[in-house]
Amino acid sequence: MEMLQYALRKLITGIPLILGVTLISFLLMVYFGPDKTYDLIGKNATPEQIAEIRHQLGYDRPFLTRYLEYLKELVTLDFGYSDSTGERVSSILKRTIPISLALVLPGFVLGNLLGIALALAAAWYRGRWLDKLIMGGSVVGMSVSFLIVIIAFQILLSSNYGLGWFPVRGWNVYDFGDYLRYVTVPTLATVFVALGYNTRFYRAVFVEEMGRDHVRTARAFGTPPAELLFKHVLKNALIPIITRIMFSIPFVVISGALLIESYFGIPGVGLVTYDAITTGDQPVLKAVVGLTAALFVLVLILNDILYKVVDPRVSLK
Amino acid sequence: MSFHPFRLSLILWMALLAACSAGPGTDGLKIYRHSLGGRPTSLDPVQSATVYANHLVVNLYDTLYAYKYLARPYQLKPNLAVAMPEVSDDGLVYTIHIKKGVHFIDDPCFPEGKGREVTAADFVYSMKRHFDPKSRSQGSWLWAGKIEGMEAWKKAGADYDRPVAGLKALDRYTIQIRLTRPFPQLVHTLAQGFSAIVPREAVERYGREFSIHPVGSGPFRLQTFDSVRAVLVRNPKYRKEPIDLAYEGYDPERQARYGIARIQGKVPPLVDRLEIHFIKEGLSRWNSFTKGDEIQFASIPRELLDEVLLKKQPEVVLRARYAKKYFYTSGLENGFVHTDFNMKDPKIGYNPDPRRQERNHALRCAIRYAFDWAERNRTFYNDMGRVFPGIIPPVVPEFDPDASKESIRHDPEKARKLLEEAGWNAANLPVLTYGGVASVTSRQMFEQFRGWLTRIGYPKEKIQFDSYASFGDYNKAVKQAKIMIVGMGWGLDYPDAENTLQLFYGPNGSPGSNASNFDDPEYNRLYEKSSVMQPSPERTAIYRRMNRIVEDACVTISGLSRRYILLWHKNVVSYPDSSIVGGFHLKYVDVLPEGQEKK
Repeated sequence: MEMLQYALRKLITGIPLILGVTLISFLLMVYFGPDKTYDLIGKNATPEQIAEIRHQLGYDRPFLTRYLEYLKELVTLDFGYSDSTGERVSSILKRTIPISLALVLPGFVLGNLLGIALALAAAWYRGRWLDKLIMGGSVVGMSVSFLIVIIAFQILLSSNYGLGWFPVRGWNVYDFGDYLRYVTVPTLATVFVALGYNTRFYRAVFVEEMGRDHVRTARAFGTPPAELLFKHVLKNALIPIITRIMFSIPFVVISGALLIESYFGIPGVGLVTYDAITTGDQPVLKAVVGLTAALFVLVLILNDILYKVVDPRVSLK
Repeated sequence: MSFHPFRLSLILWMALLAACSAGPGTDGLKIYRHSLGGRPTSLDPVQSATVYANHLVVNLYDTLYAYKYLARPYQLKPNLAVAMPEVSDDGLVYTIHIKKGVHFIDDPCFPEGKGREVTAADFVYSMKRHFDPKSRSQGSWLWAGKIEGMEAWKKAGADYDRPVAGLKALDRYTIQIRLTRPFPQLVHTLAQGFSAIVPREAVERYGREFSIHPVGSGPFRLQTFDSVRAVLVRNPKYRKEPIDLAYEGYDPERQARYGIARIQGKVPPLVDRLEIHFIKEGLSRWNSFTKGDEIQFASIPRELLDEVLLKKQPEVVLRARYAKKYFYTSGLENGFVHTDFNMKDPKIGYNPDPRRQERNHALRCAIRYAFDWAERNRTFYNDMGRVFPGIIPPVVPEFDPDASKESIRHDPEKARKLLEEAGWNAANLPVLTYGGVASVTSRQMFEQFRGWLTRIGYPKEKIQFDSYASFGDYNKAVKQAKIMIVGMGWGLDYPDAENTLQLFYGPNGSPGSNASNFDDPEYNRLYEKSSVMQPSPERTAIYRRMNRIVEDACVTISGLSRRYILLWHKNVVSYPDSSIVGGFHLKYVDVLPEGQEKK
């Protein structure tokens, strides 16, 4: 009951957040985003034709009217049709979000799990060669551009210049075998980069946790390393870990992975979002921004509830 | 030799991963995987403004006319039309008969889901859509003001049940188009995706989503379409018209090497499934192409030109290791790049003060002499483009190979002299703004331009880059005549110089396609005169005169036609074309079974 009350309270307090995010982003879209009119007119358009298109796009209506319409769309989850393709925005998201999720999730999960494992090892051997090796690797992962990593992995594992084991491009996924073929290289590229950031972050958390009194005491009692790391260090460090993971989820769900999708030819939501940004496809942008904001509010609630689950001392009041 | 279980399972796993499938139900199908360097957004013919959209539209729908597959220079041929149009003596009335028994694909928009026969009324409806504001047509400019009664129909509310005087279905299979003035390029426009024939039932049923739900009578029907790929499958109802290579313009000397003779007598489309992959990233496209079992058609990314090509000039030659595996062809694009001066800007163009206007002319000419086309070609077009004087590119029949090269001559000394004679000096020269999209290439082009100008004494700080976040923003600024120096590219809609000459016709000024806003009475008069003339030596002479007017006015720094190189796998029988024939070639593409490819 306490949890439900808390969730409802948080949902209500999340409304100003959604309003703020949508207002600012809509303001940016309207006044600073690309003008879709010039994408839709023909080569020798007349001023009348330009005015017709602007009218159809709703550009000639007051900002407030348009913003209120946006809020209505957000409540009804009906964002109309894409100005670029003419497809219903809901159909686009329904088609592309599952693909992006299937594409990004393995990398996201592996990147975090491996990051935690490596960070534990680095923290345990702090200052020794293993720590330096892991941290050196992390810096490499963080320093190399994601684009270079993608191209390098594609050449090494997929192309005929390298091993040629996996498809270079595409997403012909009809069974689990297909899925493995198409997801492996993008996942490896994602993990390579994510591991650097994750490992460094988690190592800092674990190092701090290892310096705490209860860990020192447990060590003094002769607690075996595995028990010490997993029961006393990892468990007590779960709060920042949960925060980091939870707050990455909206990006994973909505934003997808633009570079991965465009280089590997995967029809996910990342490509759709990117195109919407560069061409000023406002119906799609409004949906992506609004849903990301809403998802953030949900994640915020879930995050607090998870805090309570992993640490009963946390109060939800 | 024995296999360790672990090694065996690893091999099996790798075999599973390496197995390539196009999906369930594709075994035994003949599949061709084409690729394009960009993606279409809409498959609605009225919005098929890009080469990419056109590639799909002409395969999903029928057009009255098409271009012959192999003939170069390009030649029109009837497609859905029975023959070339019957044209009245005054060139104003076109009568076109269409083929009987052609059906739209089966679709739920028709009664009982059965595609009905295509009739003349469908063409009339499809053309009217261009003038209905709700359709968001991007092609109406081709026929604006040229079809009798069309503007009045639009003004009266674009009611499809009301007739248009100049566009009639005389009977079920006969179309009549009445023009307000002769329009010799009309048949070319009827070979474009814009004029593709759609059924009213589908437009009304799918509404806005008609753009992703094509219902046509073309050689293929759409199976799936997303941001990275379109999958088309053979339209089983497509009319059976065996290929006559001689009629299509087959030239054994040029085309025999590609094994084209094999398709003689076959009935298109020759493949069961046509996949068109949209790949903007050149390296990724190349990796997929060279993989062997993915896309079968690509171009060479700029970064790999030296690796793949043995020779770039005078003709393109592939290195042996690539020539062994791939067919290739190269040629000049059907278009050109040019840099225009915005004549609406009094600092460089038209000015109320006649003296200043004269000095502006000298300034523009000086900038043009400072421009080094050879250097630009080397830096940005791999020294493979063809520089030509003026605005009639080499691919059109009206091109004059003997024209004076003065307007493309790099002569910094003359540029300095012109500035001096016109009284320009470092103190009074105006600030120049060079427009471009915020990209590395645009910036580099600007820096090169600035470098040339500083060499003729233009102060560096007076040459500025006017940067725009996206092409849409840039295009908007061009259409609003806000940019002083405009870098442009133009792809020909049809192989007739009229299509490039209209770029400098005064009434086409911003927001029209005349980005320079050049408005010269004599040029306009000649354009109006020639635009109603059929091809003839007299018309060519007028075109060339107009070309000289543009050159003399120093209104543009022009031009360069880029060279394209197209490659395809040796098991593919094809003669691809990336622009005018464009998507029309895809129904003739054949894929040979393994081991039968031409060496």
